[in-house]
Amino acid sequence: MKHWLPVHAAAVFTFLYLPLAVLVVFSVNSSRFTAWTGFSLDWYREMLRNPQLAEAAWNSIVIAAVATVISVSAGTLAAYALWKRTSRLLAGAVYLSLVTPEIVMGISLLAFFQWIFRHLDLRLGMHTVILAHVSFTIAYVIVVVLARLRTLDGTLEEAAQDLGATEWQAFRTVTLPLLVPGIAAAGLLAFAVSFDDYVITSMVAGVDSETLPMVIYAMARRGATPVLNAVSTAIVLAIGTLTLLSARLMRQ
Amino acid sequence: MRRRSFLGAVAGFPACRPKRPRLNVFNWSSYVARNTIPDFEREFDVDVRYGIYESNEEMLARVLSGNSGWDVVFPSNYLILPMRENNLLAPLQHGWLPNAGNLDRRFQNPAWDPALDYSVPYMWGASGILFNRSLSPAPASWADLWEPRLNGRITMLDDPAEVLGACLKKIGESINATDPAVLLRAKEEAVRQKRLLRAYLNAEVRDQVVAGDVLAAQLWATTAQQAMDAASNLAFAYPSEGFAVYADTAVILRESGRVRLAHQFIDYLLRPEVAAAVVRETRTATANRAARELLREVSPALYPADDVMARGEWFEALPTPAQRLRDRLWTEIKAA
Amino acid sequence: MNRLRALFLAPVWVIVGSLLFAPLAIVFLYSLLTRGAYGGLAPPWTFENYQRLADPLYLGIAAQSFLLAGISTLLCLLIGYPLALFISRSGPRKNLYLLLVITPFWISFLVRTYAWMFLLRDTGLINTVLEAAGLIREPLPLLYNPAAVVLGLVYGYLPFMVLPVYAALERLDLALLEAAADLGAAPRASTLRVLLPLSWPGIRAGIILVFIPCLGAYLTPDLLGGGKAMMIGNLVQNQFTTARDWPFGAAVSLALMMPVALLLVLLLRRKGEELL
Repeated sequence: MKHWLPVHAAAVFTFLYLPLAVLVVFSVNSSRFTAWTGFSLDWYREMLRNPQLAEAAWNSIVIAAVATVISVSAGTLAAYALWKRTSRLLAGAVYLSLVTPEIVMGISLLAFFQWIFRHLDLRLGMHTVILAHVSFTIAYVIVVVLARLRTLDGTLEEAAQDLGATEWQAFRTVTLPLLVPGIAAAGLLAFAVSFDDYVITSMVAGVDSETLPMVIYAMARRGATPVLNAVSTAIVLAIGTLTLLSARLMRQ
Repeated sequence: MRRRSFLGAVAGFPACRPKRPRLNVFNWSSYVARNTIPDFEREFDVDVRYGIYESNEEMLARVLSGNSGWDVVFPSNYLILPMRENNLLAPLQHGWLPNAGNLDRRFQNPAWDPALDYSVPYMWGASGILFNRSLSPAPASWADLWEPRLNGRITMLDDPAEVLGACLKKIGESINATDPAVLLRAKEEAVRQKRLLRAYLNAEVRDQVVAGDVLAAQLWATTAQQAMDAASNLAFAYPSEGFAVYADTAVILRESGRVRLAHQFIDYLLRPEVAAAVVRETRTATANRAARELLREVSPALYPADDVMARGEWFEALPTPAQRLRDRLWTEIKAA
Repeated sequence: MNRLRALFLAPVWVIVGSLLFAPLAIVFLYSLLTRGAYGGLAPPWTFENYQRLADPLYLGIAAQSFLLAGISTLLCLLIGYPLALFISRSGPRKNLYLLLVITPFWISFLVRTYAWMFLLRDTGLINTVLEAAGLIREPLPLLYNPAAVVLGLVYGYLPFMVLPVYAALERLDLALLEAAADLGAAPRASTLRVLLPLSWPGIRAGIILVFIPCLGAYLTPDLLGGGKAMMIGNLVQNQFTTARDWPFGAAVSLALMMPVALLLVLLLRRKGEELL
């Protein structure tokens, strides 16, 4: 078994990275079709010239960032409360949210917003997209943070309280610092899920809230364009750099 | 994105008002020229927010709430009635649309909106067969798409109205048939053909026809024209049994608070030189007669001759029972 | 504690109540209405939409979806479990490998799917290479069939299996395995008898996280299956778009969630086990 595990891992990584390699190679191909005709950075230039892409990327980052902050804050508090004493109803709700198919969630949120709009003068927009993203990222946050909490020793807080700390102080000074890796992981996951969502976003987006996946989908439907390859390569490079940076920062 | 309005949007407040008036236009992709929107913004001193979509359903899902924020959208003709019934459309003021007289006679009083009370035809098109010239004999009818020689090298549109429409035409019926017995026979045809199909694809098929993977495809004339511009070995046929015709129209949503500006925009699109510039660049078929007269070269795929057009039939909005049956039959075809 | 706990739970209840329970309740109400003359919603209130579901056609589609989702989940487990095992045993390089598993998923799902379409096409990379090598004369029909759909689903959801399984394996005491080996269990037997039960919570989470989205998928069957197969996700999608039959779409959505809920209850019913 020891011998075939690395072979298997190598095969799986090849499987995972084959499509990526294709994207990277054809992002620097001069032809718009799928035959190699020579090296060129034209598609990157075209990407930078496309204001729609830039705006959508910006929207996506903002939406993912705001939704992540909200769901990480609320989710961490909830995970902590669940850790203290479990709640079957909330645990059930978390699972319900994890298992609701995306399309059902998108449609139910759209129906909900439409119903609200009948009574309030509001429109679909960044705020509805952010709310929708909070609704499907919060479950991931609770699960990940709770998993981290379960590895912690509950008696530490009790000790702190014995020494005169209030519950809040015990949470803030004892548990929260220990939770940071879990919170960071949850945040990364929430950000990633939000950044990539198309199905739900496309249903609740308004005039000013086109996201990158929406623009990518529209472009891809018109026939695969190498600009998309350039965009994808740029995203992987950006995310890769960010992750390496944050890993280095965390070690320090 | 305008950063100022962005903060407001995030906070859930209505966007802070930009200095210039704003118009939100939601249109099909490749339906304006590069300068169409910037020129309008300059001339009328406004900001246009221009979004694109790829299917009627996508657009309809977004605007159905009545709070989408869009002012002008471009539904196909057979959606005018449903959108009116759902109270989504604002009535047009023809006094604000002096250029409407430029429309082709065929589009001055169309069946779906005889007095153009709610819609102004913008582009139009039909579905037919895009094929590789290496096919001999060349397909000339829908029935030719049932030939075993095309096995695995043919696609149909991923659209119930189009596929059932082609099957209905093949058996000599109207594309808007509502008679269950007739629809059932059309479904049988579709199921029979499915074994030969590579896939049900929309615009995505274009590159595969150009690459030669696919030899024949049911496709919209405008998409086919783009493929023919890219590869000289392709041709387009209007099937002999008849074919479906649609028009995409400009409408103003009832929710719009900028009705006057929206009219100005539609009237601007109706100017002959503006409409001509659009079709010159996008290779689509304009509903504007004056614009068409400005074009030097007119593709027979985009503007079929009158005797060909005589075989065309317009899509219509269908009543609930027929719509339901069609959806069920489409599900049966897909599950077959 | 109770006051602080209530305070901590307040935001999440507001979110869950307004953005999960309320929307699903509205979908339930919609499912009891009727399609209006040109789409939209109209009275009367009726169970007809649910009755329409008890039809061999829709049951067949459901069976097909369960089959495809089941095969995809099984493949994810077979591929993902050894990978998770490998990562959990690779010492300091663990985090690097985990990163490698996650990185492809930063790219839009759609772009990844299009990359696969490019690989699988007749004139795509795989067929071109095979043809150049003289292994095939005619291109293989790799795209637009159920196998391509399964491939897309496995590719799309593999990390959702690898991550929870890895998390479970990582917490395991490897000394247990060694003890089993010392007691004379052959390596293979020790894996099955010791490793699998101990990592069951991770496997369970992985199955839930992979199976459910696969069941509701609609873009993958459209793009890689060429729209020739219909899954429940496509049925739902069609009701809300081309058919404009929201009430029936709502009924299908909720019916789709019933077996999902049942599966959850079955997987989580063990006594004394925490739900999360």
